[in-house]
Amino acid sequence: MTSSRSAITFALLLLAPALIYILAIVAYPLVDTIILSFTNAALRPTYDFVGWANYQKIFGAGNFTEIIIRTLVWTFFSVSLKMIIGMYGAVLLNSAIPGQTVFRILTMPPWIVPMAIGIYMWAWMYNGNFGMISGLLQNFGLVDGPVAFLAYGDTAFWATIVTDVWIGVPMVTIYFLAAMQSISKDLYEAAWTDGAGRFYRWRRITLPLMLPAIVTMSLLSLIATFNSFDIIYILTNGGPSGSTTTMIIDTYKTAMGSRN
Amino acid sequence: MSQLSLKRLEKSFNDSKIIKGIDLEVSEGEFVVFVGPSGCGKSTLLRMIAGLEDVTEGEISISGKVVNDLPPVERGIAMVFQSYALYPHMTVYENIAFPLRVEKLAKAEVEARVQAAAKVLQLEPRLQHRPGQLSGGQRQRVAIGRAIVRQPKIFLFDEPLSNLDAALRSEMRIELMELHKRLGSTMIYVTHDQVEAMTMADKIVVLDAGVISQVGSPLELYHRPDNLFVAGFIGSPRMNFINGTVTASDGVTITIDLGTLGTLALPRTTKIGAGQSVTVGIRPEHLKLGAGDFTLSITPRIIEHLGIHTVLYANLPAGENFIGLFEGAPAVEEAAPVEIGFALDQVHLFDQAGLAVY
Repeated sequence: MTSSRSAITFALLLLAPALIYILAIVAYPLVDTIILSFTNAALRPTYDFVGWANYQKIFGAGNFTEIIIRTLVWTFFSVSLKMIIGMYGAVLLNSAIPGQTVFRILTMPPWIVPMAIGIYMWAWMYNGNFGMISGLLQNFGLVDGPVAFLAYGDTAFWATIVTDVWIGVPMVTIYFLAAMQSISKDLYEAAWTDGAGRFYRWRRITLPLMLPAIVTMSLLSLIATFNSFDIIYILTNGGPSGSTTTMIIDTYKTAMGSRN
Repeated sequence: MSQLSLKRLEKSFNDSKIIKGIDLEVSEGEFVVFVGPSGCGKSTLLRMIAGLEDVTEGEISISGKVVNDLPPVERGIAMVFQSYALYPHMTVYENIAFPLRVEKLAKAEVEARVQAAAKVLQLEPRLQHRPGQLSGGQRQRVAIGRAIVRQPKIFLFDEPLSNLDAALRSEMRIELMELHKRLGSTMIYVTHDQVEAMTMADKIVVLDAGVISQVGSPLELYHRPDNLFVAGFIGSPRMNFINGTVTASDGVTITIDLGTLGTLALPRTTKIGAGQSVTVGIRPEHLKLGAGDFTLSITPRIIEHLGIHTVLYANLPAGENFIGLFEGAPAVEEAAPVEIGFALDQVHLFDQAGLAVY
């Protein structure tokens, strides 16, 4: 009895540093935020409890559901594209091609370039008057006149996704590549000896063995994309007329008082 | 007709030649073992036969057909890898069925072949387990099962027992030999372990630095090694070598000066010029205590008592290692000089180039 009790005490002692850390940086702010959401706290020293008033205000705002759906759609397409392109890139980079290292390095720039610079670069490319994409489309005769991608709701929505994918793909690629390389070469040789082709080997060996990595990466990417702020903020600031306003943009604007 | 034929086979990686011109014929149903030290090219040779490595020069034929440019699956071979290469996410059943699924065989056929292989390998109760839940020996059997279901003409084994502990290794060795008897297929087996080679092979191919040093049955290699390398590689403990100089050679006897150990007169019909250095070889198990045509005195440094055998480790006056293997437990002590001898007809002689002189 005594020994089991001391074992528990010892276990708690071992856990204590991590527990204190988590309580301080996760649990306390979370609980405090929930409490604050039921008050009329602003930047004043005192506040009063207001019950469900804040929640009624948000859900009564009319466009709240729309923003949630838009955020989910935006996140869904962005994460899916990142996963698909990242997987495809990892497969290509993992194949035995001459200059493999060079290609691996060449995938990195979107990730290395300071985000704001990368995003501004895309803003220029999307520009209708002097942007590269509009220019190319006109040169190939695919469109009649200049296309200002960020000026229309539909194109702006996809343009922000494309930029988000561009920035996010390298990390996914490198992560998938690492996971792919941890699979023993013997498995592929054995499968090849048995006559399994490239796609068959990928589907029956690579994909199932990478599943844990895919799930982890999807989750991480989902969280990061759901909270992606800078891309939309710099490219469209949530516009035109709210067509790229996701939850995080809306939260920021609400908090900073540019609306309401 | 030989089932596998290698002609002037060569393999280079970048600029270094790993396989330097190999000729070999393997008959149907033979159990052939490629043996040699690490880096001798034995695994590369096996992978070339499997189709996992390209051929730089020469020709590989299986059943009379040149297969140099055929992918592995069209060569009629199946390979068992050193690491077993089992798919960790698949059950034993799916692992064994994998080649058949690739072939898109009918479900009933897959079921029949997997069950048959499982029966032969006593894996029936394990079919729904994953490789991670199996012991080393069972994993080994799954890998063999995956090879069996393809009904190949030739089985290729790449050091299949090297990941197992000693007890399991000798057990699996017997299982593999029984399997060979039952299937009657041609098997090519790579190992660095000469005991595996001696016990399992119909024919041993000793490889040294990318060339064949000697091909023969285990007992041929044991009794009549062609050269110093084979003499030193086959047999455990290793053959003792004593350096000497020829003083006379008349076509009947070769007289060799062994320095402080004395003079040895060996019956040999080959003549060797006086003054040439030669190597005399005698296996540890051919030494007798206190008797023989030639005797010498050694001082055991270490003695190992194995019950059935006693092994003496000593140094010759010139510093060479010298090992003696005696039956039972003779009265010998460490650091106490002991008289040993051997019969002349059990002595091997090698010339300056390391080639056997008979």
